[in-house]
Amino acid sequence: MKFWPVILTRHRILLLLLVLVFAWSLFSVNWSGSIIHTGGRSSFLKLWLSLFPPDLSLGFLLIASKATWTTFTFAVMGIVLAITLGLPMGVIASGILFERSSVNRVPIIIVFRGLLAGMRAVHELVWAVVLVVAIGLSPVAGIIALGIPYAGILGRIYAELLQSTPRAPIDALSQTGASQLKILFYGYIPAVLPDMLSYTFYRFECSIRAAAILSFIGIQGLGYQIQLSLHDLLFDQVWTLLLFLILLIVLVDLWSTRIRRSLLA
Amino acid sequence: MIIDENKSLIVARNVTKYYGPFKALDSVTFTAEPGELVAVAGPSGSGKTSLLHSLAGIIHPDYGEVLVDGNDLAEFQSRKERCSLVGIIHQQYDLVPQLPVIHNVLAGHLGRWGLFTSLLSLVWARDRRQAYDILLQLGIADKIDDKTSKLSGGEQQRVAIARMMIQSPQLVLADEPVASLDPSRAEEGLRLITDLITDSNKTLVITLHSPHLIREYCSRVIGLREGKLIFDLPTSEVYDHHFDQLYDIGH
Repeated sequence: MKFWPVILTRHRILLLLLVLVFAWSLFSVNWSGSIIHTGGRSSFLKLWLSLFPPDLSLGFLLIASKATWTTFTFAVMGIVLAITLGLPMGVIASGILFERSSVNRVPIIIVFRGLLAGMRAVHELVWAVVLVVAIGLSPVAGIIALGIPYAGILGRIYAELLQSTPRAPIDALSQTGASQLKILFYGYIPAVLPDMLSYTFYRFECSIRAAAILSFIGIQGLGYQIQLSLHDLLFDQVWTLLLFLILLIVLVDLWSTRIRRSLLA
Repeated sequence: MIIDENKSLIVARNVTKYYGPFKALDSVTFTAEPGELVAVAGPSGSGKTSLLHSLAGIIHPDYGEVLVDGNDLAEFQSRKERCSLVGIIHQQYDLVPQLPVIHNVLAGHLGRWGLFTSLLSLVWARDRRQAYDILLQLGIADKIDDKTSKLSGGEQQRVAIARMMIQSPQLVLADEPVASLDPSRAEEGLRLITDLITDSNKTLVITLHSPHLIREYCSRVIGLREGKLIFDLPTSEVYDHHFDQLYDIGH
């Protein structure tokens, strides 16, 4: 009798159940062709080939550069708004400011964690639709639509990073008589800065992607240009614009790697 | 010796601390005067760190009381006053590894500085001269702008000492500050700490294992075992059998 309870831990029972559910689900699939559209391969190939060669004419390169710059600035403003909102909210949600004080921090943490969750629960596209209704078709609406969910994501990550900081240096600072706010800047932030920057840059890349998509609410960015070219069936231009988008992401990636490396050195 | 408790820097009365059912400190009573170098000896788990932490006000005794310069640390509210009274050097020094040395040293000022000054100093170090002079005295002035994590154990210990010199409390506590150093570094570190205390007529309470180091650098030794105070003697009157009694050697 003692043999069974050891082998069947709760984790293993759950794992076994999940495997069984997956296996059972395979029987409900109609394998005779409806999963992938059978004619898809040839039309995908057609689309793919029609993109070559990309449009590299000077006039269009200028348009693409301008659109890239617009998307980039839009993404920068979105992420700046996200950091401005997310950092203080994340610090409060982490609860570190209320340690060693008589304030009951549990309700404050719950409220701010809830706010951050609400902000990131709604996708930027949905925020955009709501905001366009509220403030009209403008770049400001786009930036706010980007900033709110990203602040929710950043704030949560910041809070978790701050909470997982090693305790000993923090306690030692506290014993010099430093307040929690001073300890935030002398102990917590230096400890989490490389991870915070790395994640923020990753989110910045995501915001470039999102900014390109959000172009439809009145910003002349990459997404808007791609949409125009697609409408006119100018696939060579689409390819150029995508190249610019990829290039932009790669550059941001290189930039973040350099900053992180110099911080860790 | 008749001790006037009102003049003692430390008055510990029946200090008792439980961790669950475990009695870490069992009715420990002693006093210490300004200028004393008090070693606390005892095997692991004998309550040395608990005693130090209750003197620092990090933990509060379940029974009894600890007065530092007449103040009950359990009721002490002001950070500013507390940090000018008590400071502690930890076994692992517990510096912020990502910060440059200078800011770890100047952190000794955080109890006195306002928020604005503290933040500004991170950008443009305030009292750099003072920090430099102290580091020069400790022999690591050339490391002032290095990242603290790049320093060796002995160097980090000096940074912790430098921070303590800036904080400059009346009572300095040191929790096995030389445990992770090689013997010659250990002696050097102890000499730096004890010189700092005697030069400024402060009081030191330090946990140490080595009878040799205790006799060499301290004026008095308190022996703890299973949370109880076994002996409290001037180092000149402490013999090997006293230590054997603590560490159960020869039984």
